[in-house]
Amino acid sequence: MKSPESGSKSEPPVNLRRVSIAAALGVLLLYGGLILSLGWFLRGDALRETLLSERTLFSVKLSLFTATLSACLALVMAIPAAYALSRYRFRGRELVETILEFPIIVSPAALGAMLLIFFNNPLGEWIQENAVRFVFSFAGIVLAQFVTVLGVAVRLLKTSFDEVPVELETVARTLGASPRHAFATITLPLARRGLIAAYILAWAKALGEFGATITVAGTMAMKTETLPVAIFLRLASADIEGTVAMILLLVVIGTAALYATRRLLGKTVRA
Amino acid sequence: MLEAESLTVVAGGFRLHELNLRVIAGECHAVLGPSGSGKSTLLQAILGVLPLQSGRLRLNGADLAGVPIERRGIGYVPQQLGLFPHLSVRQNITYSADARRVPATKFRPVLDKLVEATGIGTLLERRPATLSGGERQRVGLVRALASRPNLVLLDEPFSALNETLRRELWWLLRELQSQWGLTVLHVTHDLAEAYFLANRITVLLDGRVAQQGDKAEVFGRPVLPEVARFLGVETLQPGRIIAVHDGLAEIGVGSARLWALAAPEMPADVLVSIRGEEVMLEAASGPEPAASARNRLPARVVAVQPGNPLVRVELDAGFPLFGLVTRPACEELSLRPGLAVTAILKAPAVHLLRRAP
Repeated sequence: MKSPESGSKSEPPVNLRRVSIAAALGVLLLYGGLILSLGWFLRGDALRETLLSERTLFSVKLSLFTATLSACLALVMAIPAAYALSRYRFRGRELVETILEFPIIVSPAALGAMLLIFFNNPLGEWIQENAVRFVFSFAGIVLAQFVTVLGVAVRLLKTSFDEVPVELETVARTLGASPRHAFATITLPLARRGLIAAYILAWAKALGEFGATITVAGTMAMKTETLPVAIFLRLASADIEGTVAMILLLVVIGTAALYATRRLLGKTVRA
Repeated sequence: MLEAESLTVVAGGFRLHELNLRVIAGECHAVLGPSGSGKSTLLQAILGVLPLQSGRLRLNGADLAGVPIERRGIGYVPQQLGLFPHLSVRQNITYSADARRVPATKFRPVLDKLVEATGIGTLLERRPATLSGGERQRVGLVRALASRPNLVLLDEPFSALNETLRRELWWLLRELQSQWGLTVLHVTHDLAEAYFLANRITVLLDGRVAQQGDKAEVFGRPVLPEVARFLGVETLQPGRIIAVHDGLAEIGVGSARLWALAAPEMPADVLVSIRGEEVMLEAASGPEPAASARNRLPARVVAVQPGNPLVRVELDAGFPLFGLVTRPACEELSLRPGLAVTAILKAPAVHLLRRAP
């Protein structure tokens, strides 16, 4: 006689709960392990010296400022773009949808190279000479980060707008709201979780952006040296202790800012 | 008053054909039709969400062409109600005043009366997610009526409720409609709801108006077999007019003879339509009393299907006949398959339709 477990339809031997929790802990182990392994090269004096140096402080300020600015700019453009993709049918819509993943498909370095090539074209040169100088400048860092995070921000926001029923906007309009008023009072507040998620992700991605930034803005100390660029430069000069200190700084700033933002905005969302 | 003239609307692959509709001021007009008949497309066109391909829409004499949704003066309660989940009940029902930048004092008297009439006074600080189904419907109604719209569109707003709650809200809506003189266009597929609430009815089938008129006329005298079937007529049998005497037609249906009111210009070959509610049953053994009913048909019960509040009885009366009787009546007559009964029908209950060519 067969036992209940031996039947073909019995519970599979793999316990889903255990496997999934093990995978989640595996993620922590992987990233946590990498961070902990930095301890091998961590020297107190080197850490103190690196953290207190004027050059490091400049990198921190530059990274925080450019990441915040580029994420804000990305959202300013992403909100209307994502709304259009979510609500309207227009010529070129599918093409726009497809190209959103473009910054992910091409590497950040290639994206930076494309920007650099653009600024060597007649139009790009004209912009450089008559409007804003992007190459090897602060504006170049913001542009590189902006271009890298825009697609992701649009994609995330479109999903959020898709989840807000169009019918709510229609009802709002029957109640006398203009399309803009309905968007501001109904759609946007209901998509706020997506908005927050898009901003956090864009900011974090911009903070760690390296490839496009170094290609467009270069590696000029006290001018275009963001935290990821500073890490690269220290590693290139075989300053392992300094590299470790800078990585830790980036990790601490990034995770602390993300945690604080989540807590702060999480409260707003629940309120 | 809403007037739709030769309205053609295309939505995806669906087309609303040359639709004519008139909703008289102060009436409740029901648009009935099965799923996919074009009811929602019609509402979307009236709201201004879908553009008209041709035709004209007028509300109180004003052409609605090019008028944006927010300036049409139309209140709307969709099927899912569309309550704003992030706003309290108070904010939901005052949204209209805020959106129109009207001082709250102007809206206040109307809102207070509506809140009182619908009994939502204790719910004002709650969010929609915390309300019961019936409470949500009331809030949806109050919000749509708060700005005193010229027309209220209801898109099956009671469909998700249980029977008791639904009937409670029918009464509420009827009361509000008569008290406030509302002009209502009510889309539904619920026949009982349409019959209870509406003064007039339009039946939509496949994007076309199949029949329009007073509710008693539409329910009692469907003009097409499709309309009769949709309106719940189960007995729809081919028959032949044998003779016409004094305005009464004698019709052969199966092996039975029926008397009906003669309709002018009706061809000899007809379809006989009988509503289940019009069929009376009597024990066959009893003495035959003198009665005004022209049709007394000896019949045999084929099947009895319990229902609430009416029991469906399938009969063989020389042709398949379906009747609806109350449960106590069913118990008194001990209705069961094989039992011999007499089916009684007044002549006006036998409605004649033209057969499809």
